[in-house]
Amino acid sequence: MTTQQLLALSLREVRKQYGDHVALNGVSVDVPVGSIFGLLGPNGAGKTTLIRMVAGITAPDTGEVSFFGSPLKQSDIHNIGYLPEERGLYKNMRVGEQALYFARLRGMGKSEAEYELKNWFERLEVDGWWNKEVADLSKGMAQKIQFIVSILHKPKFLILDEPLSGFDPINAQRIKSEIKRLRDENGTTVLLSTHDMSSVDELCDHVALVNHGSKILEGRVDVLRENARAGRIDFKFRGNLIAFTAALGASAILHSVSSTSDHVHDMVLGIPPQTPIEKFLKWATQEVDVLSCSPKIVSMDEVFLRAVKKTES
Amino acid sequence: MKNWLVIVGREYKTRVRRKAFIISTLLGPILMVGFIALIVLLSKSQESDSKILVIDSSEILSYNIEDKGQVPSCLECFPERDFLEYRFTTEGLSQEEFLESDYTGMLEFDDGILQNSKALLQYETTPSMRVKSAVKSDLTEAVERLRVKQESNLDYETYKRLKVKIGLVTQDVETRDKNAENKSLVGWIFSMFMFMFIMIYGMHVMRGVIEEKSNRIVEVVVSIVKPEALMGAKVAGIGLVGITQILAWAILSWALFIGFGAYAESSGMLADIMAESGNTVSATDLNTFMKSHEDLGFLMQINWIAMIGWGIFFYLGGFALYGSLFAAVGASVEQESDAQYLLLPVMLPLMFSYMLNIQILEAPETTLATVCSFVPFTSPITMMVRLSMGVPWWEVVISALILVATVYLMIKLAGRIYRTGIFMYGKKPSLWEMLKWLTYKNR
Repeated sequence: MTTQQLLALSLREVRKQYGDHVALNGVSVDVPVGSIFGLLGPNGAGKTTLIRMVAGITAPDTGEVSFFGSPLKQSDIHNIGYLPEERGLYKNMRVGEQALYFARLRGMGKSEAEYELKNWFERLEVDGWWNKEVADLSKGMAQKIQFIVSILHKPKFLILDEPLSGFDPINAQRIKSEIKRLRDENGTTVLLSTHDMSSVDELCDHVALVNHGSKILEGRVDVLRENARAGRIDFKFRGNLIAFTAALGASAILHSVSSTSDHVHDMVLGIPPQTPIEKFLKWATQEVDVLSCSPKIVSMDEVFLRAVKKTES
Repeated sequence: MKNWLVIVGREYKTRVRRKAFIISTLLGPILMVGFIALIVLLSKSQESDSKILVIDSSEILSYNIEDKGQVPSCLECFPERDFLEYRFTTEGLSQEEFLESDYTGMLEFDDGILQNSKALLQYETTPSMRVKSAVKSDLTEAVERLRVKQESNLDYETYKRLKVKIGLVTQDVETRDKNAENKSLVGWIFSMFMFMFIMIYGMHVMRGVIEEKSNRIVEVVVSIVKPEALMGAKVAGIGLVGITQILAWAILSWALFIGFGAYAESSGMLADIMAESGNTVSATDLNTFMKSHEDLGFLMQINWIAMIGWGIFFYLGGFALYGSLFAAVGASVEQESDAQYLLLPVMLPLMFSYMLNIQILEAPETTLATVCSFVPFTSPITMMVRLSMGVPWWEVVISALILVATVYLMIKLAGRIYRTGIFMYGKKPSLWEMLKWLTYKNR
């Protein structure tokens, strides 16, 4: 990461201990402005502690938290939206009234909040629910209300802890596109904590991976994937398997092979970093009938698993 | 500060508009007054007319006229009453005869009544207070008239004028307060309400905290305001709900009392009651009635403004103190049922001062009572009783200052437990652990 890049959030050697339990052990994370930053890690890795620190709920024992270049302070909370993981609503309030309460708590005026809420309620198709009791809401419906409440005051920085859990695929898609729209149209920086790797693949441009209170991986999603690919390609051809394998020699390493018929074969090949894929393809077309050839797609799931495994071993 | 008021507003509004709150606020005084009225009405309607056979075997108070039988010598002593009728005779009935007759009572005496002033009233069903007091006063007058006639040369009217009945007024030489022991009843009622409201609304605080903790709303709110501020706002909002109910009850009761007074004035009920109890003041308006009534007169001597003013102050102080403790308890558990063992140490001083009140009613000036009216955990309850009886003003002020200082300290301490507790999930903390949380400096 270049130092010139503007950082929305920067954690420097942050440490937090609860009794004997070290929740965060000197973690540093940089979240660039305008990014959707995935905070990943197994349960109990320290994600929630980190998020609470940014939300101003806890303070680090040692280390620094800076927010848009200056140390995080109480008043920054007006620029932060926070959707906690296990969330609820007050049972004895109506939906609209409750949304209004949280908006006003964040310093919005009543009429402004009402106007914004009306818009958002329409956007997410919950406008008929304004006067309903919270007890009558379905889980997904309540989630939508909570999502609206956390973004209503147009925060520069949005913390979403597992925002998609509890949504059906259609609504999950809708929320994902809202998150992207917030970044693209409002320039909102999003810190997204999740276990759902498919949403990381789809949404995040940066990630950090924490485990046992330490950061084990951080970077741009495309870079991490490219690194994890380690030169592997998917290669499909028609021809003689044994002859081609022999012909490969030192120009590529054979990782795996599966055959769909006697003549059609799928291979995962590792080509050396200095060999461009075009050069390999040129050579291969002379040997066999190439059906397809592409860089192997590595999911964030795999990146995640590899990184965790590497640190545990 | 603005955020803080938004929270106070929510805590207040969501509770005040609940149906249960509105109903109990409106019905509380009506039910209380209605309950008393019902008892009075029931006792009156159940009372069947009494017919009493007066057995005057030695013809002291009656004589025989042919045609009419035995009649009282003093007719005005035994007036016609709609609930009481007398028949005179010289010979008693046997038990069987009496039970078969339509008499409800048999009043028996002989010439000894002139010396020992005793008569025997036998009954089939227990006579009401009203009948008993009527019989007593009728008989007294008849015997008095007879004795005045026999033993002096005064006429009865002169005797009545000369007769003396001493009323004893007690007064504290320091505070100049009169009939303090009666007034302490008012203080006791105040302190009972104090106890009740601190308990009820303290539990509200605890439940509110548990709700926010268990559904994680607290995380969102605490990211906006400090945990201590949230706790304070909750206690303040719910405390105001209590004040609202108390004031509503006070105003409604007052209105009902005035309304009843107006009714009693116009219907002549007051004059009747006064006449019946043998009071010489003829009261036609409520104010005079209350002042001159020997059992109710003390109510008019109470400094209601001071009682209500200090009452509200001590309620607010006591509630802030206990409310923050209830909040700390609520923050330490995840569901109400887990809170029982933590509630005990919180409720103990409250229960203690409530029970102490009975002691104070009997012996108001014990050292224990004085000490407890300064100890902040008991003073809101104990001081109310002492206030009603009269207490030097500087004692109240000192007690108030101690309370304020303790409230400040307690909000700080309870706030530390609260801010640690609300993020603790999974295990029930012991009291010892909670005390350790007090030392956690950092958030």
